[in-house]
Amino acid sequence: MTKDQRATSSYRGSSAPRAVRRLLMLPLCLLLLTASACSGGGRGHAGGSAMDSTLVLTSLGDADYLNPVIGASVTSSNIFSLIYPSLLQSEFDTTTGLLNYMALEKQLRPSPDGTTRKTPKAALARTWTMAPDHRAITYTLRNDAFWDDGKPIVARDFLFAYRLYADPVIASPRQQYLAELEGAEKGEVDFRRALSAPDDTTLVFRFHKPVPEYLALFHTSLAPMPEHFWRNVKPAEFRNSPLNRKPLGAGPYRLQSWKAQQELVLRSNHRSNLPKPGNIPQISFRVVPDYTVRLAQLQTGAVDVVENIKPEDFAGLEHAKNPVDIKSVGLRVYDYVGWSNIDRDEYRQHGRIVPHPLFGSAPVRRALTMAIDRQSIIDGYLGRYGVEAVTDISPSLKWAFNPKVQPYPFDPRKASEILRREGWIPGPDGILQKDGRRFSFILYTNAGNARRNYASVIIQQNLRAVGIECRLEVQESNVFFDNLQNRRLDAWMAGWSIGLEIDPMDVWGSDLEKSRFNFMGYRNSQIDSLSAVAKEQMDPLDARPSWMAYQEILHRDQPVTFLYWIRETQGFSRRIEGEELNISGVFYNIDDWTLSPSGTFAP
Amino acid sequence: MLTYILKRLLVAVPLIFGVLTLTFFIIRLAPGDPAAFFIQPGISPNVAMQIREQYGLNDPLLIQYVKWLGHVLQGDFGRSFSRAQQPVIEVIASALPITVTIALLTLVANFTFGIIIGVISAVRQNSFLDRFLTITALFFYSMPEFWFALMMIIFFALRFPLFPASGLNEVGAEGFGPLGFAIDRLWHLVLPVTVLSINGAAGIARYVRGSMLEVIRQDYIRTARAKGLPERLVIFRHALRNALLPVITLMGSSLPFIFSGALFIEVIFAFPGMGRVTVEAIFARDYPLIIANTFISGILIVFGNLIADVLYAVVDPRIKL
Repeated sequence: MTKDQRATSSYRGSSAPRAVRRLLMLPLCLLLLTASACSGGGRGHAGGSAMDSTLVLTSLGDADYLNPVIGASVTSSNIFSLIYPSLLQSEFDTTTGLLNYMALEKQLRPSPDGTTRKTPKAALARTWTMAPDHRAITYTLRNDAFWDDGKPIVARDFLFAYRLYADPVIASPRQQYLAELEGAEKGEVDFRRALSAPDDTTLVFRFHKPVPEYLALFHTSLAPMPEHFWRNVKPAEFRNSPLNRKPLGAGPYRLQSWKAQQELVLRSNHRSNLPKPGNIPQISFRVVPDYTVRLAQLQTGAVDVVENIKPEDFAGLEHAKNPVDIKSVGLRVYDYVGWSNIDRDEYRQHGRIVPHPLFGSAPVRRALTMAIDRQSIIDGYLGRYGVEAVTDISPSLKWAFNPKVQPYPFDPRKASEILRREGWIPGPDGILQKDGRRFSFILYTNAGNARRNYASVIIQQNLRAVGIECRLEVQESNVFFDNLQNRRLDAWMAGWSIGLEIDPMDVWGSDLEKSRFNFMGYRNSQIDSLSAVAKEQMDPLDARPSWMAYQEILHRDQPVTFLYWIRETQGFSRRIEGEELNISGVFYNIDDWTLSPSGTFAP
Repeated sequence: MLTYILKRLLVAVPLIFGVLTLTFFIIRLAPGDPAAFFIQPGISPNVAMQIREQYGLNDPLLIQYVKWLGHVLQGDFGRSFSRAQQPVIEVIASALPITVTIALLTLVANFTFGIIIGVISAVRQNSFLDRFLTITALFFYSMPEFWFALMMIIFFALRFPLFPASGLNEVGAEGFGPLGFAIDRLWHLVLPVTVLSINGAAGIARYVRGSMLEVIRQDYIRTARAKGLPERLVIFRHALRNALLPVITLMGSSLPFIFSGALFIEVIFAFPGMGRVTVEAIFARDYPLIIANTFISGILIVFGNLIADVLYAVVDPRIKL
């Protein structure tokens, strides 16, 4: 054996040591490279000239399409809205909570202090006229706007774009904007009647019903597409077209480079007069999927803006080497605990609507709300970035918000009293019982949300204190959403980000087949009729009384327990100047931002 | 040996195909909808249906399978749902080189450090140095990679900003010139490769130590020492060569592990490699991309095992294939 092994050893002697030697040489090379790399990297960093003229933004994921017809993610729309021109400029008026629309020479309503913060120079529309019967709107376009290739932007570009938005093969996520156009009521927009362009600067939209002016402006403000550039792309190839990688726009920035899943760079468009070339020469959107890393980079100054900073990280940012400001916009996002109002098995299996054995009664749901200490969730997690929620109408929408509707106080004793009146008596194990059924359920939530995890633990404790057993279960987001849609959950915790126009029927409408997001199975005909009346008003302020009553009813019925509104917080490097945050978007006036102290200006 | 390799490759074809078929059905059974993103307020309910139609998800499952099979047999893995309908092959072609770079660097570092530490530990068995190295190796071996990566970032990118926290290159790295660009790239790879290789090297060190201890107790080592060979020659020429036999086969089988290990690292360090592609594809229910990734990892596992077996025969003439 020894002999054999020695033989083996010497047999390999000729080739193996060389291999081993080579193997050992590699790390040496690697070490040398690494050492030189360290110094090289340092140089790169110290040189820093690229950083001085580049604003670095981070996002969780890459943009999908830089195309207003099919771009679906928030990152995409942040980017393509800098590349593409828009018909109108919109502005959220914080004093009223109403959206204002501006053309070059006209605006929907006067600005609160007489001056608009944002220049309407980016608008393609010079002015508009609403037909007296509210069934048509006519825009007059400016004649000094050009695509980046020098061709003029004309009314036909809108006609072309709207056909793309409407095409079912293209499947634009913005089809909803076309819902009022002629023919849409029958399922297909009739383009011969709905849109026309009598000449290059006149654009007419016709509706199948009277449409309030603000809504007409909102829904006709989709971006145009250069017809001459896209004409030969077939609908079936629209999403795959290579033109999506080199968009032709007219806005303050143009695409410089795009490395998929890494970095997208925009360069100030020196030809733009919509409204002007962006102040900062270059904007880089970097994909950094991990939150901790985004935060670390904000602290070191490697990136300039990080969205959705968690409250627990504010203290760390205050002491960051690179000075950071925390900014927040209005209240658009709320969390709630959803209760299945109806017996979901009965509904799914037999289509019958029967109250849920636990959550079917409004007094019980009110008691549940009173038993949950919403304020301590806010104090413990969100601090001053949270506000107790009462209904789904945000306090930021001041014109519609009902300040008289006050949140139910945290009052476990009263909650117990209501539950007792409703027939829920403590059983031998301390858990409430009624007709032999224990008040016990599972509260589901989606994975990866620290805020909801925190809240759910407090909710569990609060409910246990009034004799309700609440078990917690966290599900992967896709699974959770699938279960919600298919009414497989009795109780869950989730949240909504609201639109700036109030349209609650998808969530609270009584027709459970039509209301896609009424996972609760909540039904109240008053809510239906109030929403219908409100939507018929030509002036949103005339809808105010309906929305006031709507909030009172929702508060009384407590179809869900509204928990809190969240002020989304963004971290901004202090080298950014001129930024104005607006509820309609963090990058609302990004073309006006500058970088200091060595921030340079585009020619 | 050639026959053996060919035979193994032939067996691999139905094996990988079976894995792909299973994946095809299993991901479609999992809850979740590739068009779920389009089900939200403000987006017409028609959109999700139109998107599903585009993806061919409205067909019965069997028809979907037959169509898919037809395409795959022609080498077409389809277009990604979640990445702007980019052909799946293109997505992988852009992600694979990044992962391969990290994996190769890691592999080299793993084995180099693993072997060095293992040999030192074995030669100085039960010494303070051995205990220190053993404990340190175990410490790193048992540490979760994602946590270790975050700690490295906090320490080396935030507290002492020596290395960048994420990305493959600095902003404006294109202007550094080809050498500068390569150096910048390597500088960005230091932290992730360190995290991956410290963990792996610790494991390999344990292997080498065990194997080395077994070898240096053999008679022929005693003989080598008895005939007066210097200790360095005894260890490196006589002992290490034999001790490396089982370790070399590890190289083949560690390939797929390194690829799956890179998964966390790629997400944390924002590298657009295979790991991140896979994770994002799974969360987005991007069926074509998931299947293509399964295909790649299936091939890696099959080849890794084959390489391990072949290497064994190459380095040890007692084994005949």
